[in-house]
Amino acid sequence: MAEEKKKRAITRLESSALVRPLVNKMYMEGTLAGMEERPVAWSMVNWWEGDIIMRAMGVTPVYPENYGTVCAALGIAQKYMGVSVAEGFPTHLCGYAQNTIGYTTEMKREGKVPEGAPMGGMAQPTFMLSSEGYCDARFKWFQSLRQFWNVPVWTLPFPHPAYTDTSLQDVHKVNVEYMAVELQGFIAFLENLLKKKLDRDKLETMLDNQEKVLKVWWEINELRKAKPCPMHARDFWTMMVPCYYLAYDPETLTVYQQVYNEVKARVDNGIGAIPDEKYRLIFAELPPWHSLGFFDKLAERGWNFATESIGYHPPPPMELNGGSDLLYRIARWTYWQYINTRYRAAKMGYPAVGAAQPFYNWAVEYKIDGILTHPLVTCRTATFWLTHWMNVLRDKLDIPGMSIQGDIVDLTVFDAATALNQAPAFEESMDHFRKVRKSKGLDW
Amino acid sequence: MLWFAGIDIGSVNTKVALFRDGGPPHFHMIQSGANYRAAAEKALDEALGKAGLSRNDIVAIMATGSGTPRVDFGTDQLSDISCSARGVHSFFPGVRTVIDVGGQASRAIRVNDEGKVINFAVSERCAAGSGRFLQIIARVLQIDIKDAGTLSLKSSNPVIYTTGCAVFGESEAISRVAEGTPKEDILAGVQNAIASKIANLIDRVGMEKDCAMVGGGALDIGLVKRTEERLGITLLVPENPQLMAAFGAALYASHPQ
Repeated sequence: MAEEKKKRAITRLESSALVRPLVNKMYMEGTLAGMEERPVAWSMVNWWEGDIIMRAMGVTPVYPENYGTVCAALGIAQKYMGVSVAEGFPTHLCGYAQNTIGYTTEMKREGKVPEGAPMGGMAQPTFMLSSEGYCDARFKWFQSLRQFWNVPVWTLPFPHPAYTDTSLQDVHKVNVEYMAVELQGFIAFLENLLKKKLDRDKLETMLDNQEKVLKVWWEINELRKAKPCPMHARDFWTMMVPCYYLAYDPETLTVYQQVYNEVKARVDNGIGAIPDEKYRLIFAELPPWHSLGFFDKLAERGWNFATESIGYHPPPPMELNGGSDLLYRIARWTYWQYINTRYRAAKMGYPAVGAAQPFYNWAVEYKIDGILTHPLVTCRTATFWLTHWMNVLRDKLDIPGMSIQGDIVDLTVFDAATALNQAPAFEESMDHFRKVRKSKGLDW
Repeated sequence: MLWFAGIDIGSVNTKVALFRDGGPPHFHMIQSGANYRAAAEKALDEALGKAGLSRNDIVAIMATGSGTPRVDFGTDQLSDISCSARGVHSFFPGVRTVIDVGGQASRAIRVNDEGKVINFAVSERCAAGSGRFLQIIARVLQIDIKDAGTLSLKSSNPVIYTTGCAVFGESEAISRVAEGTPKEDILAGVQNAIASKIANLIDRVGMEKDCAMVGGGALDIGLVKRTEERLGITLLVPENPQLMAAFGAALYASHPQ
């Protein structure tokens, strides 16, 4: 008799299964576009700044960062990283970059999508779209790839205002205007490259859908403030993909509405994502895509991850003014994604804590007991703030933190056994600080 | 009489503490080798033999340490961070900060007045922050690790290591030997490097006195001295610092809370 499959501690949302076909479709579209010699763009996550413009122009984007997560989850990334090293690229480069460089090297060598590439691979690009958002690797990496692909690289602007400047409306006005003007330049670049004009009606329809998707996805995450938390971080990481890559698509909106209904039903019925929620945690930053089963072990101990990774949460409803011009609307959303937590802090009377602001806000509103940080060996951006975040939560809110060293792609770095060994000690710490918070009048 | 056992399966040594209420503990230690489960079994049986006991005399066994997942005969398992804190607290109830220098990692642990963990920080996955670094350099210098502390106290000009990596540190030590640098200066340099990493960990959790140093690294009087200098405090070191996690585990086996 077959051994009964062990039930996992995290009860995944049934509706999360609806996301997989969307992701499959996304990769299939890329493969088909390549086969049919239609324009394909290799694109960085750009927080909705360039995607729908490309889509409205008939370009099919594929996303090497997301492909890195796929390769990591399927165990293929080690091979591509090895190829990258053999090409002379250092091991401390961004893991996603190493994966893509290795993939591209193999693709050039074989003259086609490499044998064994998951999800049908990434088709040869017509151009590459990088973004100034969050880290330099996200445009330097594509510049470097031009040694393999003799295609243009366009970089989208992404202003990073100082934290002290974000309350100044003039700063917003200037930055959004700058982004909108640059988007006009991007459209001109595409029209010249593709020899066709942008269909603005189509763009507006996509933008309308995108704004609805962002709203529902934000509402879903708001529901996670309930106790017990109805949706674990694992479902978040599964379901964030359509929000960032397929927000233009009406199917995404339909799926997210179903997800919302399921999460709402859980909240209404007091159902949590794990059977016995003892601790509510934040996970910062990107997870170990190759070892997600690790979270089931922690769930068995009563650890529920109620929120996570700042760069990937949808912004709340828009609070920036600025007219209805399509390009300004697009620019405002991308800019709002970066600055909205500071608006939230001001509105709620929270202290300004710089780069830790999102986590401060969430820690209070999601009633967080601890932060588990995941320093990523090959990702500077997702790593150099972690200690600051931990210190702010400890010093301002009496919330302890624990670190597990790892990587987004390189599975050899992650040490789940050591982390699990430390878990009981961290529970002691969370218990202690829970008492401290209550002694100070906090309600969790 | 009810006996309780704590087994700390570390990356270098496996330690056993046997404990009963109202009596002195029994300790035993062997090298862990490559088979953690076998080491745990052997260490426990040898400890019981030395104490004139059998497994039937043991009411509960608490396993701890990096080899814990390999032990399937324990009553329960617990983090060595919690166990170290509890063990130290039983000897020094006034201790609020524990520095644990083990073979695989170093840890700074803040504890409350009950010996429970308040906060902790663990060194990176690198031998340069652990007692392993001392072993590596002692091997290069062809001296017994037990003599390293005493020898290092003779140093007047400690080497300043230019790397934070144990592998490069080993290469650097070899170069210094070739240059004729005295062994004590090379050892003192290693101790300073580890003390610096310990101080970084302490910064992360905050220092509250009293502070104790435990783990195999605390057997090195040179490391203790240089850590004291680095932190500007006097450290408490129990008689058997490397056995504190095992003893804490035995205490947890007897009184879980």
